[in-house]
Amino acid sequence: MHRRKFLQMAAAAPAGVPLGLAATDHKLPEYRVVSRYPAAEKPGMPGAYPGQVVSVHAEKCIDTASDAPDAAVVSEMMSRGMRSLTGGKDHRDAWAQFVTPSDVVGIKVNCSGAPGIMSSPAVVAEIVRNLMEVGVPPDAIWIYERFQEQVDSVHYDRHLPRGIHIWTAEHRRGSTESYDPATYVETTFFDEDDTRSNLIRLVGGRFTKIINVPNMKDHGAAGVTGCLKNIAYGSFSNVARSHSGTVTNTYSFIGTLAAVEPLRSRTVLQVMDGLRGVWHGGPFLFNRRYRFYPKRIMIGTDPVAIDRLLIDIIDEKRKAENAVSVWDRSEKYLAGSDAHRNNPNANEFVREPGHIEYAAHLGLGVYDIDKIKVTRLEV
Amino acid sequence: MLATVAFLLPTLFWDGSADSADLLRKAGIQKLDVPPGREEAWRKLGFDASAFDRAGAAQATAPRVEYHMDVASATRVPWVDANGWQFERRPQNAYFYDAPAGAAALAAAEAFAYGVHAAIHAVPEDLPVLARMLNFLERIGQPALPVRANIGVIDDGSDAMGEVLNLMARHNLLFQVIPAVDPRYDVIVRPGEDISDPYQFAMQVRRRLTDPKRLVRIYGSNVVLVRLTGDGSRTRVHLLNYGGAAVQGLRVRVRGSFQHATLSAFAHPKADLQDYTSDDEATEFTVPELDTYAVIDLTTR
Repeated sequence: MHRRKFLQMAAAAPAGVPLGLAATDHKLPEYRVVSRYPAAEKPGMPGAYPGQVVSVHAEKCIDTASDAPDAAVVSEMMSRGMRSLTGGKDHRDAWAQFVTPSDVVGIKVNCSGAPGIMSSPAVVAEIVRNLMEVGVPPDAIWIYERFQEQVDSVHYDRHLPRGIHIWTAEHRRGSTESYDPATYVETTFFDEDDTRSNLIRLVGGRFTKIINVPNMKDHGAAGVTGCLKNIAYGSFSNVARSHSGTVTNTYSFIGTLAAVEPLRSRTVLQVMDGLRGVWHGGPFLFNRRYRFYPKRIMIGTDPVAIDRLLIDIIDEKRKAENAVSVWDRSEKYLAGSDAHRNNPNANEFVREPGHIEYAAHLGLGVYDIDKIKVTRLEV
Repeated sequence: MLATVAFLLPTLFWDGSADSADLLRKAGIQKLDVPPGREEAWRKLGFDASAFDRAGAAQATAPRVEYHMDVASATRVPWVDANGWQFERRPQNAYFYDAPAGAAALAAAEAFAYGVHAAIHAVPEDLPVLARMLNFLERIGQPALPVRANIGVIDDGSDAMGEVLNLMARHNLLFQVIPAVDPRYDVIVRPGEDISDPYQFAMQVRRRLTDPKRLVRIYGSNVVLVRLTGDGSRTRVHLLNYGGAAVQGLRVRVRGSFQHATLSAFAHPKADLQDYTSDDEATEFTVPELDTYAVIDLTTR
């Protein structure tokens, strides 16, 4: 039984990566990408609206005293955001640009900081409601994430119609049965034994479209975690191996994973849930004092453009809190994981927010802030 | 001519009194090793008993995994206690395991996979699972196949080299102790090489070999160790799980093209391999659930 292999070797740097980006600080691993899936004629990332972001703010979208979102306000934010992005005459028309009734839709949520921060059930429920209005049946909608115990703490089922799948790849941490053995990225970072990261089977085997719903979070290794990290590290197995000691390979690994087919082609919409945010300690929420409320949803098809805006949101908040910038690579702030949890000026790793620019050079979107068109709406 | 792995079934070592005979019968144990001088008494009770000199045997470590916190990355790093490297180094020894609760079945599988003579002292609650494992081992047998390895090691017998062997086994870098340079191996480790840092040396050997040349790779666990035997047309893959919990979805890559494969998995008699692929370069498959031990027999036609 032979299988087709599409091999992508990135021995030094991928085509198009300027030397300045790949040189000195970053010794790039050699990646071997194996996938039998060809790219779509027009891949979902960066998709129909490269370099465009609709940023919708609503002061009343969440009650910060009770931490309770207002579903009606969230619905209005989504509707106006989608119409603005697409030019659709109504929200149904806007959503129909991305999905059809025959699609099987995966919704990639983020629950790594749950229950303190996650893709809000209010946002996810609004996405589901719109998919169903377009005609996607409930049993063709899959909320997915990697780790069962994280999703269990959110209780999405209480907010969604019957029949929607709420699915995780690892009921027990480390089990690999839900990953596709024929679609993977192989590389060695730190002489680890298991050198493969495999794509979740459903991505290639069942989903025809994917909607990515990250949060607005700081990240101890990647600098920030937004669209790219959520879709990449959240859709592949065995990714924590990319960090060791104070070194992380998120710089090149995140974009490399996000560009693997069919993940890249099928991820057609990015909905960044910024009702809540985390300005330090992400992707987790170790301490509620690190949570803040941007009260914002950013919508687009270009994960790089949205994440580029995210860097500034997180860094500005960190600056306001007198915390070191996510860009600071100084060794003097490296202090181990315990210190990192308790001190906003202690880093666990040399952070790699440059992963977003790296992903741009893989063709996943627009990084140059001057070339990103941001439409700001107030609800 | 390469030596083949012996078909040796490990044996329960039992120093309990004759009062415990019913306990053994209920567990399904028929064959025993006992302290010298007690064998006749046990034979009279209907057991197939042999004398075993515990003090004269080499001591095997209780097989298991320990997790140490890696402070830097807040992950748990598995530390595997395994004996394969010692068995490979001194296959002629008789070995004695003093197996704590939960370790006896894995000890039996480990000794069997390496074809060494071993006696296992088990706690009473482990007798049923040990008996099931011994039955399983007897049923699958041991084809007379030579060991397959990428790395030939000319062993100087030093403790440092012992640690290198341990680490190579731990990372599934298949080696065999050899008396002299042999071109059949991809990499030769010679006496006099700088092994002052055994871990770094083992990783250096891995880089000299390169991963694509490795006869076997596993994906999906870092607590499963592999033993490989085979000739031109047949290969047997032994998978030993030290983790204490079943591994779900273990992916295995074996160099070479094999058209047929049979899985024999302890505790999962009806399990079949999944996602089987084979091309000119390698054969891959998934073991859906690996309990303590499984073997996969591959044939070229």
